[in-house]
Amino acid sequence: MPGPLPRTKSNAWWNRRWAYRIFLLREFSAVAVAVYVALLLVLVTQVRDGRGAFNDYLDLLESPLFWIIHLVLLGFVQLHTSTWFRAVPKSMRVKLGGRPVPPEAMLFGMYLLWAGASLVVLAAFLVDW
Amino acid sequence: MTSPPMTTSQTVTLEVFRYHPDTDTEPSYQSYEVPYREEWVVLDALNWLKDEVDGTLSYRWSCRMGVCGSCGMMVNGYPRLTCNAFLREFLPGPIRVEPLRGFPVERDMVTVLDDFTEKLTDVKPWIIREVEKPVEEGEYLQSPSQLADFKQFSMCINCMLCYAACPVYEHEDDFLGPAAIALAQRYNLDSRDQGNEQRQELIWSDEGIWDCTFVGECSEVCPKHVDPAAAIQQAKVEATNSFFISLLPFTPPGMGR
Repeated sequence: MPGPLPRTKSNAWWNRRWAYRIFLLREFSAVAVAVYVALLLVLVTQVRDGRGAFNDYLDLLESPLFWIIHLVLLGFVQLHTSTWFRAVPKSMRVKLGGRPVPPEAMLFGMYLLWAGASLVVLAAFLVDW
Repeated sequence: MTSPPMTTSQTVTLEVFRYHPDTDTEPSYQSYEVPYREEWVVLDALNWLKDEVDGTLSYRWSCRMGVCGSCGMMVNGYPRLTCNAFLREFLPGPIRVEPLRGFPVERDMVTVLDDFTEKLTDVKPWIIREVEKPVEEGEYLQSPSQLADFKQFSMCINCMLCYAACPVYEHEDDFLGPAAIALAQRYNLDSRDQGNEQRQELIWSDEGIWDCTFVGECSEVCPKHVDPAAAIQQAKVEATNSFFISLLPFTPPGMGR
């Protein structure tokens, strides 16, 4: 008699539905963040090596290839940030005045802070110091 | 409210997973035409099949009202309680019905639950007291706010849909799984319970919370909105806080365990 059918494991589990695919993209977004940090660190080393090296690196970053790379990285960083925000109400039980703060309120607060911080950075970039 | 008139001429195709442990070495799928009724759920269709067409069809069910947690199956690849999965959601069909993913199959849609029940027992899902007070001293009182701290996690009906949605449980044999950890958290957060330390060794281990990669689908499929993913992430935060507090040369006020 064959008996009960053993449980099965599939390496193609991630392709079963979008929620799983987005989970994998979310995990990969950490790599994208690391790549962006590496690009910034290289920028710092170019500053150390003098104006010529710095300008050469800026020219490289302005090439179409690096524009595309930066747009892809920006997308992954957005995903990274928004998925971290979504994790916060799950992992924290915050009470105000004895009542739990609804997840939507926590998310709204974080997106508000994000927008505020982005505006400050944008202003710093646009204002002629 | 009157029911809409039945249209007996309409049918929908059910592709049903079949496996007989005495005769089969591989599972197969059998297609059946079942009458379509707007008010029928997938469980109604299975019951009609068993009564009218094939009495050998095997599956679990009981309450028919989303409370007992018995009738969980994969419906078109998604874990559902078949008593609240309406046929009309899956039109025009076919509707594929399979046993919950991640469990051995006893027969047809009947899964082997031993792994889950053992893990559930391991987390001690009951109120633990260091010393029980005598009955004459009355009950352990609890405020509505204290009840609210854990009530959500107490709504689990052990239907195991969260296990079927969890790719970690599918691949890691030792992983306790979403419902068992959520129920442990339910008792850890209960103001009447004093068993946190007894559960810690298992819950805070690799096969407990740290195997979880927070895919989050356990909470999406939960028919009772228990949110096991939240229970697990909150336990991770508690374990992390406890680790760093243990490194301090003193215990901060109000943080002793």
